[in-house]
Amino acid sequence: MVVKRQELPRDALGLGLRIPHYGYLFEHWPELGYFEIISENFLGDALPPRRHLDLVRERYPIVLHGVGLNLLGHAQLDSAYLDKLCWLAEYVNAPFVTDHLCWTGAHGISHHDLLPTPYTADLVGMAAERAAFVQRQLGRPFGLENLSSYVEFDSSTLTEWEFYGAVVRDSGCWSMLDVNNIYVSSQNHDFSPEAYLNAIDFSRVLQVHVAGHSRESNGIIIDTHDHPVADAVWRLYAEAWRQGGPFPTLLEWDDHIPPMPEVLSELAKAARIRA
Amino acid sequence: MTTRPSPEWLEAFQARFSQMLRTPLDRRSGTLRASPASYDPRLARDAVRGAKLSSPERLAIYNRQYWFRLFTVFHGAFPLTTRLLGHFCFNEYASRFLLAHPPKVWDIDAVVDGFEDFLVLALPSPTVTVDPRGRSVERAAVLQASRIDAAYHHVFRAPACTAFRPSAGDAERLLTSRLQPSPAAAVLEEDWPLCELRRALLGDPAETPAPLPPRLAQPRHWLLVRSSTKIGQLPIEAQEARLLALLGLFPVGEALAQLEQECGPVERDLLPARTQKWLARSVEHGLWVGLSDQ
Repeated sequence: MVVKRQELPRDALGLGLRIPHYGYLFEHWPELGYFEIISENFLGDALPPRRHLDLVRERYPIVLHGVGLNLLGHAQLDSAYLDKLCWLAEYVNAPFVTDHLCWTGAHGISHHDLLPTPYTADLVGMAAERAAFVQRQLGRPFGLENLSSYVEFDSSTLTEWEFYGAVVRDSGCWSMLDVNNIYVSSQNHDFSPEAYLNAIDFSRVLQVHVAGHSRESNGIIIDTHDHPVADAVWRLYAEAWRQGGPFPTLLEWDDHIPPMPEVLSELAKAARIRA
Repeated sequence: MTTRPSPEWLEAFQARFSQMLRTPLDRRSGTLRASPASYDPRLARDAVRGAKLSSPERLAIYNRQYWFRLFTVFHGAFPLTTRLLGHFCFNEYASRFLLAHPPKVWDIDAVVDGFEDFLVLALPSPTVTVDPRGRSVERAAVLQASRIDAAYHHVFRAPACTAFRPSAGDAERLLTSRLQPSPAAAVLEEDWPLCELRRALLGDPAETPAPLPPRLAQPRHWLLVRSSTKIGQLPIEAQEARLLALLGLFPVGEALAQLEQECGPVERDLLPARTQKWLARSVEHGLWVGLSDQ
């Protein structure tokens, strides 16, 4: 039997699925457009995560968000990992799958972090070819997330948004636009977040992420996902919506996670902002 | 799948960046600090200095993030061991383990695999000093704690498995066959009330070493059994634990004979009824996934 791939309404609001919310979720099943899961949390063989996922997928659409593809790693993509990802996407009938435009490991070591590179024209072709391959394997839209970062490199010949836009365009894939990441990087590297946003082709935006961050005493902003979304990020979100809405919007909260009603209330701000 | 090779500079860049990430944090001040001066100068030169921070200080954010992200995974998987040693002391062993066994796969929960075996080689004997004032904890207790934590971790991560339900045909060959243990179950032994301590410490945000409770008069044994979403912990008798251990090593008949040999005369008379009860209970709890003739 061929199962039709789910699609999300363009104005859907979603949340990152997190374990501390399971108690509330499984009791109340709040109204929500969709959940996003961290792919790697469900790729393994462990039974409990799978059973929890089964409960959620019966009631909500689920999209996949990965942190381990290593698209910009010097080595070839891990085909065993990709096979598992394809399986999971089918299992939850994901409307789409996303991961980051970054590297996460090298020389056989996985760093479990989202790491920056110099942005150069010769990297665009490799990244685009790999992303296109991933999308073909998945058989569904594949979105690339722009990175938040704390360092840039002199050897870059492109701005981050030029690099990001070129990879999305040349691959035929999609943008998973994180407006908090734009803001974090803009503050850390002294560029205009609006300039970044103006360079985005909104016809290719698959989903937008919002999240909180933390400002250190030295002025650097760390992408911690442990606070409510900052006002400046909501303003950037409003501008993105004005320029390119509607698009599915997802709130990520990964540390110091408050009770689910509080997180849902933070997400509801998105609906108010764009009303 | 093979795509075009990466640009030549990328591998060299990632080698330098990886080395920076995995630079151990300096413990000498009593807190863990990055040492930006030790980074490869080529990497530091390429990193752009901003108004807020120098380029090595920017790289240090990633260096710290690398270690603390992995430490957090270790603390989650080994909560009891972490608190017996205290975070600062525990992190030292976790660092040494990670330097010797760098993470190789996408599964971040797998980074701790083998840590309990590493501690057997790494911990000093007979005690481990856990703070600058010289407080210490018995090595044997830390090792036992690490085995308990590891058992919880492995049982939770075990795949779905179908419990063995013996048929009439199985009964005939039971004594000469081996029961195959389920990965979703484990037997724990404790000489200190460590399982109780583990439960009490879950959710406690403190990072200081937790005092080791007094040694038990007799060792206690527990059975860990995972249902579809949770792990249950059931008390079992010492002899039942011994039987389960023997069943993991020998065919059923040999295991029973070995257990009988280890008993005194009074216990021996009671043994047949008790072993029957224990075997039935082990099947009921899904401790086995099959019967093997090998």
